[in-house]
Amino acid sequence: MGKRVLIVDDDPDIITFVVTVLEENGYTPLIAKNGEDGIAKAVEEKPDLIILDLLMPKQSGIKIYRELKGDESLKKIPVVVLSGIARRTFLRSHEALTEFGDQPVPEPEAYIEKPVEPEELAKTIKRLIIE
Amino acid sequence: MSKLLLIDDEKAIVRVLSISLKSDGYDVVTAYGGEEGLDVFRRESPDIVLTDIKMPGVDGIEVLKRIKDLDPDTEVIIVTGHGDMHLAIEALQLGASDFINKPVGDEVLAITLKRAEERLLIRQKLREYTENLENMVRIATEEVRRKSEFQDKLITSSNDGIVATDEKGEVIIFNPGAEKIFGYFRREVIRKMNIYDLYPPELAGEFQQGLKQGKIVKSTDWKEIMITVKDGKSLPTRFSGALLYEKNMVVGSVGFFRDLREVKHLQQELIKAERLAAIGQTVTGLAHYIKNILSGLKGGSYVVNVGLDKNDIDKLKAGWAMVERNVGRVSELVLDLLTYSRERGPELRNCFPNEIADDVCELMEARASQDEIEIIKELAPSIGEVNMGADAAHRVLLNLVSNAVDACISDLSIDKEWQVYVKTGLEGDDILKFEVIDNGCGMSEEIRKNLFTSFFSTKGGEGTGLGLLVTHKLVEEHGGTIDITSQLGKGTAFIIRLPYSKAAH
Repeated sequence: MGKRVLIVDDDPDIITFVVTVLEENGYTPLIAKNGEDGIAKAVEEKPDLIILDLLMPKQSGIKIYRELKGDESLKKIPVVVLSGIARRTFLRSHEALTEFGDQPVPEPEAYIEKPVEPEELAKTIKRLIIE
Repeated sequence: MSKLLLIDDEKAIVRVLSISLKSDGYDVVTAYGGEEGLDVFRRESPDIVLTDIKMPGVDGIEVLKRIKDLDPDTEVIIVTGHGDMHLAIEALQLGASDFINKPVGDEVLAITLKRAEERLLIRQKLREYTENLENMVRIATEEVRRKSEFQDKLITSSNDGIVATDEKGEVIIFNPGAEKIFGYFRREVIRKMNIYDLYPPELAGEFQQGLKQGKIVKSTDWKEIMITVKDGKSLPTRFSGALLYEKNMVVGSVGFFRDLREVKHLQQELIKAERLAAIGQTVTGLAHYIKNILSGLKGGSYVVNVGLDKNDIDKLKAGWAMVERNVGRVSELVLDLLTYSRERGPELRNCFPNEIADDVCELMEARASQDEIEIIKELAPSIGEVNMGADAAHRVLLNLVSNAVDACISDLSIDKEWQVYVKTGLEGDDILKFEVIDNGCGMSEEIRKNLFTSFFSTKGGEGTGLGLLVTHKLVEEHGGTIDITSQLGKGTAFIIRLPYSKAAH
């Protein structure tokens, strides 16, 4: 069995795509269709990597990210943010939240802006899992 | 003191009198005969002349006549002997101011001279007054002329059209501004047209009524009116008018017209500019949306390729579904763009509005149930087959229900039972009412205000910002209305009213 990668995204197309990329590169995909499910699966499965979308209904990816990185048992899991939002905007929103009194969080291990090429995604995952 | 000329052929009298008069303070010059007297008069221009009447050569009457010719204002006093009464009378008739009998007594002389001096003074004053008066009249006339010219210039140079009438409503002032606006020449209008020829009928009636009744009417505020100009065209103007009064009597009316074509033109330019800005926004929004579709298509083709390589039917199906879904999104987008950009009239046909609502609910059911959102229909059974913009209603309803489902999905509340109500109903016998009510995230006042003004999306890359614009446009094209109430965190209600008529057969 290859390393396990959790994908948190509400868009079935993205899930299909990422799952295919993961399978092609020898990883085992785990799927969560919303943030809530994502946290639960992360706690339960302790995956080797998490691929996280930011714009999701019900619980925004920004909030999920802070939860992941604020949890002692989860914060070591590398996170690849895969989003239509520019990296700059994402980082600024965290600065703002920190200013309002939240605990500061580290930057994600990787940030890929959509649209993403399969090779780029595969390379990023490989780099982070070898580390 | 005045200058005084004494004329008498009796030298002794001249001498005695001149001494006495000089001591009274007069400036005295003398002559011993008529001829000499006139010479001295011409040279010295005395104010008062005292002349004996009977003298050899040129006598007193002749002296009087000639002096009055030379200077009618001179006070000539005649000195007469006994029994010269008829001469004295003749002298008075010829313009002498007074006469004294010989022998000349000091007292009588003093009084006579005093009276003469008073007359001189009065005449002097009168002359000054008259001159002054003439001067004042001239200045006043000038002032009046200047003022009237100034007012003429004001009226002439005004960019506003100024039309004034007399109390009968006949036009008496028609300035170049009015010529420009109405297209008539002054000469075609002055005394030839009345208020009814220029004002819109209703306004003309109002003014004519005011003129007739002589009531005090306040000037109207500026308002927009359409006037009909010479070539029969309608022209937008801003108008303000008033009745004119003089001592509480109506003497006429005046109207001011401002050409609004330029303003209207600028307004249109502004709308165009805003539209361009909106298009700029859309292009950004659309680029984002299209990027997402492209990403989906690329992803799909990648998955399809993997399926082909591996001979994996499941992968192939999944990839192909991605491609198809994104092709669907492209066609939706194109349809929305076309609907928004093309001017179209309403397309009416027979339909069952409740069936439209049924169909929309069915289309949305899958997406809604996936996120545990309940769609509840409340369709009025009394609605049968009608004639209306069926396709527009379908599209509008689909947009709104889709938005309502999105609003529930985006709601961050915990433990809420999300519901979307879809209701139909009738209002009167010509309005169909569709209501879409959700208890999702609701929207802020800011967002509510922006709903129909620009390509505006709160859904990030997932929305084009076109949905509500298309909705708004379709509803407007079909003569309907949209009402929205929304409360942040509580939900949103859209009410669409569309006109309908009996089903045509």
